[in-house]
Order: sequence, then structure tokens, then C-alpha cells
Amino acid sequence: MSQLTNTGSRRRVEPASSTITASHGEILVSARGLQKSFNDRMILKNVDFDMLAGDITVIIGKSGSGKSTLLRALAGLTDPDAGRIVFDGKVVFEDEERTDDWRDVESHVGMVFQTYTLWPHMDVLANLTLAPRKRLGLSAAEAKERAEVALAEVGMSQHLRSRPSQLSGGERQRVAIARALMMRPKLLLCDEITSALDPPVAAEVLEVLRRLKQEEGIAVALVTHDMAFASKAADRVVFFHEGEIAVNATPDEAFNRSTNPELKKFVDAVRF
Amino acid sequence: MMVKSYDFDWNVVTSNFPRLLEGLGVTIQITLIVIVLSMILAVPVALMRMSNIDIVRWVAQGYIELFRCTPLLVQLFWVYYALPTLTGITIPGFISAVIALTANLTAFMAEALRSGFQAVPVEQIEAGKMLRLSSWQRVRYIIIPQALRQQLPVILSLNISLFKDTALVSTIAVADLMFTANKIASESYRALEILTTAALMYFVIAFPVSLILSRIERNMMNQGPSGTAGPNLLSRMVPGLKVKAAA
Ligand SMILES: Nc1ncnc2c1ncn2[C@@H]1O[C@H](COP(=O)(O)OP(=O)(O)OP(=O)(O)O)[C@@H](O)[C@H]1O
Ligand SMILES: [Mg+2]
Repeated sequence: MSQLTNTGSRRRVEPASSTITASHGEILVSARGLQKSFNDRMILKNVDFDMLAGDITVIIGKSGSGKSTLLRALAGLTDPDAGRIVFDGKVVFEDEERTDDWRDVESHVGMVFQTYTLWPHMDVLANLTLAPRKRLGLSAAEAKERAEVALAEVGMSQHLRSRPSQLSGGERQRVAIARALMMRPKLLLCDEITSALDPPVAAEVLEVLRRLKQEEGIAVALVTHDMAFASKAADRVVFFHEGEIAVNATPDEAFNRSTNPELKKFVDAVRF
Repeated sequence: MMVKSYDFDWNVVTSNFPRLLEGLGVTIQITLIVIVLSMILAVPVALMRMSNIDIVRWVAQGYIELFRCTPLLVQLFWVYYALPTLTGITIPGFISAVIALTANLTAFMAEALRSGFQAVPVEQIEAGKMLRLSSWQRVRYIIIPQALRQQLPVILSLNISLFKDTALVSTIAVADLMFTANKIASESYRALEILTTAALMYFVIAFPVSLILSRIERNMMNQGPSGTAGPNLLSRMVPGLKVKAAA
């Protein structure tokens, strides 16, 4: 019966942004008691994590502390061993599995990776339009129109027909962001997307994220070592230490007033 | 050293050329059917070979090893002579040939595809997953095109080998080029002329493909793996190689 009343099949054709109701400042994602082990090593120990709609949350922490694992759990690429994830008021992960509501929500979560993940055998336009055409049922013309808007948003309009191999690292990451935007995400997960880039180029890419937040209200969870960006653009700074969230505060609190010794050590180490 | 004097009679070739061409037609027909079938069947086999489910992976692996580690001639005879004993159904030579050659080529093709599949960076596939492409869409649009491109030299050389190996089907009375040539040769006692012509006919088909193959290999050497700019590892380790290849 629930099959009939459920609008899930319609949403798969065109996930209307109306399915996400959290508005700016309300809780968009909330994770409770997340645990994850790899080979008997506990990577996420007991993570509680909240993100507000339209916020930029910067996640920092030492290598191996579990930052990527958290993002991947939120993205649906990794299933935690325990815990609960709520997205826009709907439980999307519980009892070690994704719930049916995850299917409605997942297309609102986008991810950009550290390595370049544009598909090298397709030009920029094809990279952007593949998923909207195949998953949202957009026509080629509609998808192209959307691609032009997305590329304009990241300042890459002139590269519609470029091949990924013809783009610089920063350009590739901006196109990767545009590709994620094609699915109209409410949450964009970015895992060290600038760590292969020179600082000025990295700054340009991160500036794109800030604009997306301001203009589109997209929430961004960003793993980065860029403390300048964190203190300037983040709404929240989350410090991971050994699989736990040791600090979750505003940038000012985190960088200037935190008494957490590990965070201090970390910030000093990264700063120079 | 003495060379036996021999009076060439090329008339026997001209008069029998239409028959030889007909044989070549059968050879090409078998080759094309087998290539198409193998390319299609190799995809699921390669995916099974990479499955997380042990049984599925073992079945695929067992199949591949079975066909890689036994002679093609035995496989051909087995399908033609032994299989009917088992099933009670007699299979015509042509069909037997297609079955055996397809089963054989699929095993090799699946291994080529598998290494092509595995060369696609996992993040590229995860990016597809994050864009909510289904697993088949990820295979179809992200993995297969890149795997084919990367493995094109291997696939082409497998196809050249297959084309030549079809000559084996003459042993189960399929009227391919080899069978026809052999027959004409024994009828006319002109094995030298006829078999030389047959060899040339195989060569004329295979050689251009072989040339294309070397050209593709050279291009790949110069460009590196698809999409990434700059020389690949091999040409970086052997600097002279790139210069020579470009000449
Ligand atoms: N799929 C996996 N299988 C086994 N171990 C894994 C897997 N994914 C992550 N790990 C391990 O979990 C630990 C934490 O990894 P994670 O990638 O979350 O850390 P991180 O904070 O993102 O580190 P970095 O800053 O280096 O990216 C690492 O020691 C890693 O080796
Ligand atoms: Mg990481």
C-alpha cells in the first residue's frame, strides 16, 4: 500500500528540491553514535555530528583520524557499523543499513574528491550531463542548459567542450563541483579537493564553495588543511582526533580560544 | 646446396580462386561472429571474475583457466565429437566451431577486460555513484569505454590470433579457407601454389590490422594512458623510447 502513496518513483525522475525542507539555520544532517572499524581498528569511535542547512563546516584533523570515513558515511559510500544518520528529519541510516528514505534523499548529496574524478573519455559537457540525462530524465537540451548554468557558477563557461586532460588541476576541480551541482545538491561533501593545488588556485576553488553557500544555500562539508579558508569562510570548525570529534566550534572559538591541546598542536603544525 | 627445380603452375590458383574466396568468406564470417559474441559475453565474465561473491568469482575464474590452459584444438574436438555424446544432440561443424572459438576467445577477452576495468580509478566510479548512476550505468558509461580503449591493443591482437586460429576448424570439416585450400591442394597436387596463396590471403587480411595495432600502441606510448597528459611510466623510464616511437 505504501508503494501507491509513496511518490518515490516520481522523485526519481525529477528530484524536486521541495523534498528538502530544512531552511537556512535548521538542522540538515545529524549523525549520532557513528562507529566504523576497518580490520578491527576503530576509525570512527562514537561520532555525533550536526550540520545546519546552508552552513560551511570545515573538518580538520590529522591524517588517519577518520575525516574521510565520516564524509563517506554521509555520502552513502561507506556504511557505519553502528549509529544513526538523519537527513532533513528523515532517518536515512539505522541498524547498520540505509533506510528507504535514503533513496529519496541521496540525490541531494553531492561529493567532490581529492583526486581528479572527471571521466577522461568524455568532454566537460558529457561529464556534466550524463547523470542528469540518465537519472533525472532530462533531455539533451535541458541538460545542456543546466550545464551552462553550472559551469557559469564555477567560472568555467568557456570550457564546455574541453576534455579533462586539457584542464589544469584547479579547473578540473571546478568542473567536478559543477558536475555535482547538476544534481541540485543540498549538501556538498568535499574531501581535500584542493590539496593537490597551489595555494592561489586552491583559494579560487574554495571561493567557489563560498559563493555556492551564499547564492544557492548549499551546505558544504569540507575536509581541508587550509586554515586560512577555515577561519575566514567556515561557519563551524570540526576537529577530528583519533576517530572522535574533539572540538566543534565557530572558527573564532576553535582557532583563538580553544583550550584543546591536540587542536593547538595540530593548528601550529599545519600553519607552518 | 641443391634446390629442387619445380615448375610453378599458377593456373591452378586462378581457376580455383573463386573457391578460395568462398573459403575466405567462411573464415571471415566465423571470425566476425565469434568476435562479436565474445566481446558481449566477456563483459559479464569479467564482472563475475571481479565479484565479491566467492562462488561467482570462482566459477568465472575456473572457466577462464580451463580455456586458457587447454589447447584450442582439443576444445574444438570436444565440442564437435564429445559434447554430442554427452547431450545426444549432434551439432553441425560450423556451429561447433563458433561455440568452441567463442568460449575460448571469451576467456581471453574477459581477462583483458578485467585488467581494463581494474585500471579505472575507483574514485571515478564512486563519483558516478555519487551522481546516482546505477551500477550498470557506471559499468556501461564509465568503465567499459575506458577499459576498451586501454585494452584495445590486447583486444586487437586477440582478434588477429583468432582469425588465424580459425584455420583449425578445417579439421572438423568446416569449409573455411584452410579446408578449401587443403582440398584443392590434394585434388590438384599443387600444394605449394595453393597453400602459398592461402597464406597470402590470411596475410592480406591480418597485416593491415596488425599495422593499425602497432600504430595504436605507438600513440598510447606517446600520449600515456587515456586522458592523462604526458608520457606514461614506461616512456618516462626509458627516455629513448619516446623519441624512437615518434619517428
Ligand atoms: N576501505 C578501507 N579499508 C581499510 N582501511 C580503511 C579503509 N578506509 C579507511 N581506512 C583506514 O581508516 C583510517 C582512517 O581513514 P580516513 O581516510 O577516514 O582518515 P582521514 O582523516 O581522511 O585521513 P587523511 O587526512 O589521510 O585523508 C586510515 O588508517 C585508513 O587506513
Ligand atoms: Mg582523507
